[in-house]
Amino acid sequence: MSTKQQHLTLSENKIPEGRLGLWILIAGELVIFGGLIMSYLLHRLRYPQWSEMAAHTSTFIGALNTVVLLCSSYTVVRAHEAAQKLDVAKATRWMTCTVLGGLIFLIDKSVEYTHEIQEGFTFTSPSLQHSGDYVNSLFWSYYYIMTGLHSLHVIAGMVVMIIIMVQIKKGKNLHRVELAGMYWHMVDLIWIFLFPLLYIAK
Amino acid sequence: MQIFPENVSTYGQKIDDLFWLTLVFVMIAFVVSLFVLLYPLIKNRQSNSPKAQYVTGNKMKNFKWVLIALIALLGSDFVILYVEHDTWTEIESLPAKADVHVGITARQWNFIFTYPGPDGILGTADDVVIDEMNSSLHVPINKNVVFELRSQDVIHGFFLANTRLKQDAVPGRTIIRWFNITKEGKYDISCTQICGILHSKMRNFVLAESDDKYKHFTDSLYSANSHKTASN
Amino acid sequence: MEMSTHQQSFWNKYIFSTDHKVIGMQYSIMGIIMAGVGGFLAYIFRYNLAYPGQSIPLFGHLAPLQYNAFVTCHGMIMVFWVGMPILLSGLGNLLIPIMIGTDDMAFPTVNMLSFWIFFVSALVLLTSFFVPGGAFGGGWTMYPPFSAGGYLNRNPDFFKALFSGTSLMILAVALEFVAMLMGGINFVVTTINKRAKGMTAFRMPIVVWFLNIASLIFMFSVGPLVAGAFMLLLDNVVGTGFYDPNRGGDPILWEHLFWFFGHPEVYVLLLPALGVLAEILPVFARKPLFAYKPIIYLALVSAVLSVLVWAHHQFVSGIDPRMATFFSIGTILISIPFAGIFLSFMATLWGGSIRMTVPMMWAIGFIALFLIGGLTGLFLGSNTFDIYAHDTYFVVTHFHYTLFPDVFFGFFAAVYFWFPKFTGKTLNAALGKLHFWCTFFFFNGTWFLLFFNGLHGQHRRINDYSSFSLINMEPYMTFEKISTICAILLILSQFIFLYNLFTSLAKTKNPELTKNPWHSATLEWTADSPPPHGNFKVYPEVYRGPYEYSVPGEVDDCYAQNVPGPSFENNENL
Repeated sequence: MSTKQQHLTLSENKIPEGRLGLWILIAGELVIFGGLIMSYLLHRLRYPQWSEMAAHTSTFIGALNTVVLLCSSYTVVRAHEAAQKLDVAKATRWMTCTVLGGLIFLIDKSVEYTHEIQEGFTFTSPSLQHSGDYVNSLFWSYYYIMTGLHSLHVIAGMVVMIIIMVQIKKGKNLHRVELAGMYWHMVDLIWIFLFPLLYIAK
Repeated sequence: MQIFPENVSTYGQKIDDLFWLTLVFVMIAFVVSLFVLLYPLIKNRQSNSPKAQYVTGNKMKNFKWVLIALIALLGSDFVILYVEHDTWTEIESLPAKADVHVGITARQWNFIFTYPGPDGILGTADDVVIDEMNSSLHVPINKNVVFELRSQDVIHGFFLANTRLKQDAVPGRTIIRWFNITKEGKYDISCTQICGILHSKMRNFVLAESDDKYKHFTDSLYSANSHKTASN
Repeated sequence: MEMSTHQQSFWNKYIFSTDHKVIGMQYSIMGIIMAGVGGFLAYIFRYNLAYPGQSIPLFGHLAPLQYNAFVTCHGMIMVFWVGMPILLSGLGNLLIPIMIGTDDMAFPTVNMLSFWIFFVSALVLLTSFFVPGGAFGGGWTMYPPFSAGGYLNRNPDFFKALFSGTSLMILAVALEFVAMLMGGINFVVTTINKRAKGMTAFRMPIVVWFLNIASLIFMFSVGPLVAGAFMLLLDNVVGTGFYDPNRGGDPILWEHLFWFFGHPEVYVLLLPALGVLAEILPVFARKPLFAYKPIIYLALVSAVLSVLVWAHHQFVSGIDPRMATFFSIGTILISIPFAGIFLSFMATLWGGSIRMTVPMMWAIGFIALFLIGGLTGLFLGSNTFDIYAHDTYFVVTHFHYTLFPDVFFGFFAAVYFWFPKFTGKTLNAALGKLHFWCTFFFFNGTWFLLFFNGLHGQHRRINDYSSFSLINMEPYMTFEKISTICAILLILSQFIFLYNLFTSLAKTKNPELTKNPWHSATLEWTADSPPPHGNFKVYPEVYRGPYEYSVPGEVDDCYAQNVPGPSFENNENL
């Protein structure tokens, strides 16, 4: 589109379009997780015995992952600062740290999943069903769907970061560092809700 | 032509009356709105009124007409809500005195009836379960029949049009409702939630009988049943 | 504008275009094609209802499971693949950028992607008719456990379960939601950021307001259902028990998640069509829209209330009776803003100088039919009468009296109104009027008598009423036959429209005649006909609201938005 006429069509408000769009996307994502969390909470209140199941989750790995995600949120803020100063090298460095944070999170998560599956707690928990414990298997269904969906968002965030790192290396789309950061904060925020609900409440 | 099927329950007439009351409000609103819509189409055609009036409707002087109509609509809505509320409570809560208890279990694609046995209590060893197509639920007339509604597989609907009662049967839940039939006869029960290939054939009956006939039916049912258990 | 002279290949211009007008037309055409599919399904099961068990012309014998699948897919298609693309995405893409005076959407590439995801979703849905076991047949509400855990066509084999009708239906709906979410983000960002100079919020046409409110309602109500659909898919494919009561799950949870979206969805469909009325009525009454600002406030109130009424679909599903009273009150309250909007539309006509053109006839027909649909809602909003009427043809007829005028009358009003602008060609008015009267008459013929069937206890989704003595009698079986004959004629009437469309498209363009044929004040009529890629040669500047017709003291009865002069905004007090 011709840029020389662009000034004529701007509305009074000066929020960049990308940021505005991403705010709406984030709001939509939060409603999706909101629906999951509400469903989980209603069941949790109905079945107090789920706290025994929650005791099988590893609070240590959960807490570690919380710290990792919070740190990676900090690094992405630094990346944004660097990008604002047009310092591509620094921004790339900080974003690499963030992607590494995501990677550590996923490794922790897979270690955790492995342990739980070895103990017999799977998506459908057939071993629990053999003992006649149908209700408790639903806790694990919720556990896997919530953490699994969240992990998918972590992976999506990492992919977006890597794409943007390639783009800013070529010297374009520096403003997208901020957008990736906003998305990463959302992923972090959702985890802040999931951690107490699934790991701490026992 | 009758609008509703024959009403045979104690509370059915109240639902019918509610319909007619609502219809009065609806017809008034319909006639008034249709007049408001069609009058300018005849009166204010381009040929009759070549120049339109400049009215923005943003002044209270004009907008008050819409507000008056809205308040009238809100008022009639709340009149309906006020009138219906007692009927709703009556149907959805248990009657003061339960004369007969039965169990109704929906299953793909039939309604199964459980009679409480000689002790009159459901969930005891002497319950008799009738699981046959078109077996008919026998109930006495002029008695409060309280039923426990369950489902074995998927969501079904229990619809007894002649009493105006409808309730979904939800698997995993026991829902207690009641009816009181005032006239002898055989009435359709139909399933109102889509439930598979034979949803269209899923129906059974309620057979409302006089006290004597009902007593005769239960006596023979229970004696046959005790005979059967004894011989086993 | 350099783009207009730039030569583009056929593919870039008509298929993978990022031009909002082309995408809007792609959505509308896709909607018309899917309406053909939905209409054909309706013809098949309507024929079966009138003549159960008989062989159906153009189809053959209809099995009970096919009947279930066809009524389900008819509902799904008409709501998600006709109503949504035509009203929300089609109109939104065509109208929003050009009516706020800009060149294109904020994210044109996302916009193109949105259409192609929608296209794939339609293909997935159509594929589901041909997989083993057939298309999904559990009702458009998809209540589990019937829709999950093996009652329909779950297979222990993972891939067979994934490619069953049920899973494909969930997948298709999910893809469709993604497409609509992308479109919705685009609409809102475009409207906030790309308005022309002087186009303040309260100078935007109502249709732009309503499309945005509808998008926001959609985006904030669909989330829980996305989560719920994911759970349902896992129940079907992996064998989890989220909705299985034997494993602690709860079928009622799905009902809540579904209707939390499902009820706001009807307002998502209604608001854009109401916006179309708001554009058409003032033009042909030559009068400002009555109560412009109050209408916007009423729509915002209804958007908030729309997420508070969902459980009125569950009055007989075993929810707490006290909760039902709360939702009954909510239902009553939400009827108020919509009644206010319709009354304001009718008040626009009073004291006007009315031209009965083809778009105006569709607009008036919309209001007249919706009046019946809206007022019968008064019966159903009352929870006590709903005990009897729930899941009967009274409900089915009620929502066809709301959604048919909404989707089809709203769409046809828009087509006859904006067709000259976006194609540079004109539709035949005489054929348009014939099309209107046939549609209006046969629609009423199809549905009005079925109110009586519903009141006599005819329940839904039954392929053969011979088992039910209350319905298998006269005159109700005759009503079924009348309904079927009228439904067939209703479908045939649409060929008048298609004929009109194709013969008009074959004409040569007439830019002068189609630039502003209705003498309308909004910005799209100031662009060339058809508007080039980029819409305007010079971006317009806006000086007043969109509906300044018959201003006292002016010779011209249309004071366009982009003509310098007074704003007329100082004498408002609402």
